[in-house]
Amino acid sequence: MIWREKRILLIILGVLLLGNVAFFLTYRIQYQSRLDEMDDRLAQAEGQLAQSKKARTSAEQSLLAYRRVEKDVQSVLNDHWSTQPRRLTLFIGEVKRLAEASNAVPKAIAFDRTESTANATAKPGSRKKDDVGAKEVGIAFTVSATYEQARRMINLFELSQQFVIIDRISLAEGEENKLTFSLRLKTIFREDAVPAASNRS
Amino acid sequence: MKPIHLNLASRPYRDYRPVYAAVVVLSLLTAFLMLNNVETYYRYVRETKTTRAEIAQLEQQTNKERELEGQARQRLQGLDLAHLDQQTKFINAKLAERSFSWSRLLDELESILADDVRLLSVAPQFDKSGRVTLNLDFHGKSGDGMITTINRMNADPQFEGAFPSSEVQIEGGYAFTISVQYLPESGTVARAEALR
Repeated sequence: MIWREKRILLIILGVLLLGNVAFFLTYRIQYQSRLDEMDDRLAQAEGQLAQSKKARTSAEQSLLAYRRVEKDVQSVLNDHWSTQPRRLTLFIGEVKRLAEASNAVPKAIAFDRTESTANATAKPGSRKKDDVGAKEVGIAFTVSATYEQARRMINLFELSQQFVIIDRISLAEGEENKLTFSLRLKTIFREDAVPAASNRS
Repeated sequence: MKPIHLNLASRPYRDYRPVYAAVVVLSLLTAFLMLNNVETYYRYVRETKTTRAEIAQLEQQTNKERELEGQARQRLQGLDLAHLDQQTKFINAKLAERSFSWSRLLDELESILADDVRLLSVAPQFDKSGRVTLNLDFHGKSGDGMITTINRMNADPQFEGAFPSSEVQIEGGYAFTISVQYLPESGTVARAEALR
């Protein structure tokens, strides 16, 4: 009876006590584990930061690598290959000059031109996709020369400052201990409007 | 005679001492625990202040890094990687053709050709992996010319997989064609090993 009369006070005191006991058990008894948990959270946050930094660096490096490759590609296209109007005559002049330097001047020269695609087996319809923005120009000629002259001419073309590719060499027995030396050279020109690998957007 | 007890109480008497004792005990216990808990709380807050600040800073940095990564990825998505890849492969193939040393190839062919075999034409083909396949036309005075040439190619580390395409008897000898893989790097390695 007396307990019932004071029940409100007792209940309040009981609740307060229970709350404090709960807090005590949670924070006081497990104090060290709480501190350890905080250290774990710190380590976890450090790990996440390291991971994010790595991912960001990787993405930025990919972007940088793309820019670097794009710059190199443009450098080859613009500086080394250039356009046909700017370099064709220089190329022909270089071929003639080196042939003369080898004492084997061709009497006839044949020229040809093909569009270059990344995929050599691409169908004509798919040219747009495979277009790398370059075209190939070939020069073919035959001269009568000794083997030494032919080797010298090959060596000169290899050392040329122009972008000259020796495509094919043919030799046949000629007159007066000379060879009939056929050579096909080619070079690449950038197309006037380069489909650069720039942003899609 | 029965004594008369004077009772002036308006309510019946009750003994509340156990209740008050319980209240006092509970209050003391609660007060003790509360003080302890308050001290624990402030100690926890004080001791973890630096750590919590570090965690907050790290989380802020992480968010910033993620934002930067997202921006970089977004920029990457806007780029035409496939086209650049095509251009790069094409350019690399052409640079490989340009840097191909014909002088070295002719030196090599001179060293393996038999006296009665002459080279008529050479046409290299470059594949995407950088391997060079040579299509070679020869003229041999005797019927053994082709066999001798293939044997000599097989003995040279710079040539691999020599295979004849045709042999035709013509006036003054035989014309034959051989296709072979040319490995200029193998020669460099073999020479370096020989020097050691």
